[in-house]
Amino acid sequence: MATDSCAIKSKRRFPPCRGACPAGVNVQGYIALLQQGRFNEAVELIRKSMPFPAICGRVCFSPCQDACSRKNVDQPVGIRYLKKLAADIEREQGRIKPDPIPKTRKEKVAIVGAGPAGLSVAYELAKLGYPVTVFESMPRPGGMMQYGIPEFRLQKYVVANEIAYIQDLGVEIKTGVKFGKDIQLDTLQSSGYKAVFIANGASLNRKLNVPGEDLEGVLPAVAFLRHVSLKERVDVGEKVAVIGGGNSAVDAARTSLRLGAKEVTILYRRSRKEMPALPHEIEAAEREGIKFYFLVSPKQIIGEGGRIKAIECLRMKLGEPDESGRRRPMPIPGTEHTYEADTVIPAIGQIPETSGLPSVLLDERARAILVDPSTLETRIPGVFAGGDIVTGPASIVEAIGAGKRAATSIDRYLNGKDLRSEREEEIEETTWVKDWEMIAKKPERYTTPSIDIGRQRVSFEEADELLVKIKERAMSEAQRCLECGPCSECLEGEGLCEGDKAVVDETLCTGCNVCAVVCPSGAMKKNEVGIAQVDEELCKGCGICSASCPERAVTMRRITNDQIMTRVLSVLGGGIG
Amino acid sequence: MMFRPRIICFICNWSLPAGVDVASPTTIHAYPKIHVVQVMCVGRVDPAVVLGTFAKGADGVLVIGCHPPDCHYIYGNLQAERKVKMLKKLLSLTGLEQERLRLDWAYAYEIERFPKIIDDFRNLVIALGPSPLAEEKADSNILLNIKAAKAAAEDFRLRVLVGRERELTEKENMFGEKISQKEFDVLLHEVVEAEFIRHKIHLLTKEKPMSVKEIAAIVNMKPALVLRHIVNMRRKGMIALDHVDRTTLLYKALEVQ
Ligand SMILES: Cc1cc2nc3c(=O)[nH]c(=O)nc-3n(C[C@H](O)[C@H](O)[C@H](O)COP(=O)(O)OP(=O)(O)OC[C@H]3O[C@@H](n4cnc5c(N)ncnc54)[C@H](O)[C@@H]3O)c2cc1C
Ligand code: SF4
Ligand code: SF4
Repeated sequence: MATDSCAIKSKRRFPPCRGACPAGVNVQGYIALLQQGRFNEAVELIRKSMPFPAICGRVCFSPCQDACSRKNVDQPVGIRYLKKLAADIEREQGRIKPDPIPKTRKEKVAIVGAGPAGLSVAYELAKLGYPVTVFESMPRPGGMMQYGIPEFRLQKYVVANEIAYIQDLGVEIKTGVKFGKDIQLDTLQSSGYKAVFIANGASLNRKLNVPGEDLEGVLPAVAFLRHVSLKERVDVGEKVAVIGGGNSAVDAARTSLRLGAKEVTILYRRSRKEMPALPHEIEAAEREGIKFYFLVSPKQIIGEGGRIKAIECLRMKLGEPDESGRRRPMPIPGTEHTYEADTVIPAIGQIPETSGLPSVLLDERARAILVDPSTLETRIPGVFAGGDIVTGPASIVEAIGAGKRAATSIDRYLNGKDLRSEREEEIEETTWVKDWEMIAKKPERYTTPSIDIGRQRVSFEEADELLVKIKERAMSEAQRCLECGPCSECLEGEGLCEGDKAVVDETLCTGCNVCAVVCPSGAMKKNEVGIAQVDEELCKGCGICSASCPERAVTMRRITNDQIMTRVLSVLGGGIG
Repeated sequence: MMFRPRIICFICNWSLPAGVDVASPTTIHAYPKIHVVQVMCVGRVDPAVVLGTFAKGADGVLVIGCHPPDCHYIYGNLQAERKVKMLKKLLSLTGLEQERLRLDWAYAYEIERFPKIIDDFRNLVIALGPSPLAEEKADSNILLNIKAAKAAAEDFRLRVLVGRERELTEKENMFGEKISQKEFDVLLHEVVEAEFIRHKIHLLTKEKPMSVKEIAAIVNMKPALVLRHIVNMRRKGMIALDHVDRTTLLYKALEVQ
């Protein structure tokens, strides 16, 4: 694909994993560090692009893994698992405590909502030296990571630990402050905040719009999960019907089971194939004994004495695909029947709460905040927004991505710079494709260890041994990475590679082509007159060409043969035994 | 005093176990028995550098890369294997034991295997004893041979052959022919021998002009064969007739650019 015509796009190329990650995490880079067993450095590298390695290692839907080139050989690299492991090891062995970043900027920035979007902006801006305050209405920060995703998937101490890292950097989080009630846009501006980022998420439950929805025993999923995580008493009765097919439906179902429900069924109007929840979460739910009732939709909730007795349902069939590409469910007339339940949990999606927001910010139907998709500016200068409040319910990593994008915009805005030009997000992925046939298959290495260090009761010695084993396994899994990008960019100054590149002395090159034959990256090509040329975007700096060039016309920018020889001499000269 | 061999270990960036401190080569704690020189890929180890290392008196050279078929650079490790094969052929002509060079594979996480490789090799080198080129008492004949080998390893012919081995043996050439691995090895052997002798002659005649007979005596070869090499070398501009001493022709090396 020619990129030259497109001015915005940088010519740098990323590997598919990084290209697919909304937060632009340098996957290849941390995998490279893991290959060498440099676990903590790997975590620090992830933190360069986002503050939530352990959280994403657990619950991210990992588009990186879906994009991983290794799938062309056998199976994708187990990226998410590796990330979780590295982050867990670091946390358990004592998290790196960063020094607070000196506040070198005087412009204060206010952030509304301490979910992943808001916290990411705070994190990025704090790193740039801005004083940042996050206002959060709930008692604890974290947004859906704290009050949505249940404990058994995302332990709260993990969330707390990663937020503490952000606070260590000097970000101030004020909880129990509600925007629209305790603070307003104008009060923020008048108290000296030069920019505002709004990320209050999507936490209202979408209504079923059927009669009986207000009966006692109808527990909208988001509210239900929030009550549970606030450790409030929630009675789910014996027979629970969850309505919906997304993550919140599956989470609500699995949570109900843990609260003592005898029978939990997920009622979904399409079939299993169309369920938007993460496949491994659906499988986990199945393993736990949750039932599924597909192609069914509630028509009304029937009560008796103020409590739910049953749901009147209608069978559905799938019609033509709709705009989301999934087949549209259509009711089959005359199939009304009742389904007994004590508790009904509607989980058909969340919608942003826009009621407390200034109406100029909203789209025409007041369903979300309207922003410029690339800069995340709202209609009011200096006010930005991102995350679920803009997109509707999405994902953590997308919220982080939005946060990063907004942070760049806010920094540029406060510096009076152009918000639009040369944005990182525009970088293309690598176009270099390997010869898949050349690569040995080793799917057998792809193992998701069942060992959970935290959970087992083991002696210190055993724990140590276990850790060594786990690390070895992770390192061997990391070895499966094909290093698709020309450079993993973990490297500079970290001594892993030296960001080296080959250079051809054109006066020596005879065009014998040996360099092109030995180059693993396809970076050596001949020009019109038959002289070798290095494509620096593809060159990985391995130096094989330099060690092989018959005319010794190829040298390296940084590590030349002479330098290697000097190293040899320095160690030989050392004369120790 | 016990012999403490000086071993240089060229190791690829990706095989080096975590914790081996290469930044300060004199204080390698984990593996005090070797001197580690880290490179991006073992395929990056230039044969001339290996021979240079021997010339400086190293008792052994250990090259460690990722297990095939893994390699961060697809087949950099196999490139190294070819280079080492060629080097061993060259070494066997020099009088320095070719066992002093070894190639082995390891992954960074093979925490147990790594020290084993090193101990094995170290024991072998101890058994071989100090290198005849170890500083003060360097054997001048072997040193000359190593220098000749190094020059051969820097020469176009050997490098093309090694660089192209895979291509030559796995793909057909433009005439639809394919060289078998066996044929290739024979060819490589011939070229190694020829290049070694030529570079040795070149080094000898650099010192002073020499006759075919004199050279033949030193390299222990039939004069007719030496003459054939000289003809070839003249064509390549490596050597020229210096002067004629009565009926004897004396040759002197030319500076190769
Ligand atoms: C049950 C469930 C399961 C999920 N599972 C996954 C998953 O497995 N993987 C995944 O990637 N994503 C998952 N998601 C989606 C993910 O959690 C969200 O997309 C993400 O948290 C959005 O981030 P955000 O910062 O935009 O909003 P939120 O996380 O919702 O954060 C918004 C914050 O703003 C605060 N706030 C709201 N109004 C105000 C106000 N007026 N003043 C001050 N503060 C306010 C809220 O209290 C909250 O802390 C799940 C969501 C749910 C509900
Ligand atoms: S093989 Fe490695 S670099 Fe390539 S996509 Fe997968 S994780 Fe990324
Ligand atoms: S250094 Fe490696 S990647 Fe770069 S041109 Fe040479 S052989 Fe190719």
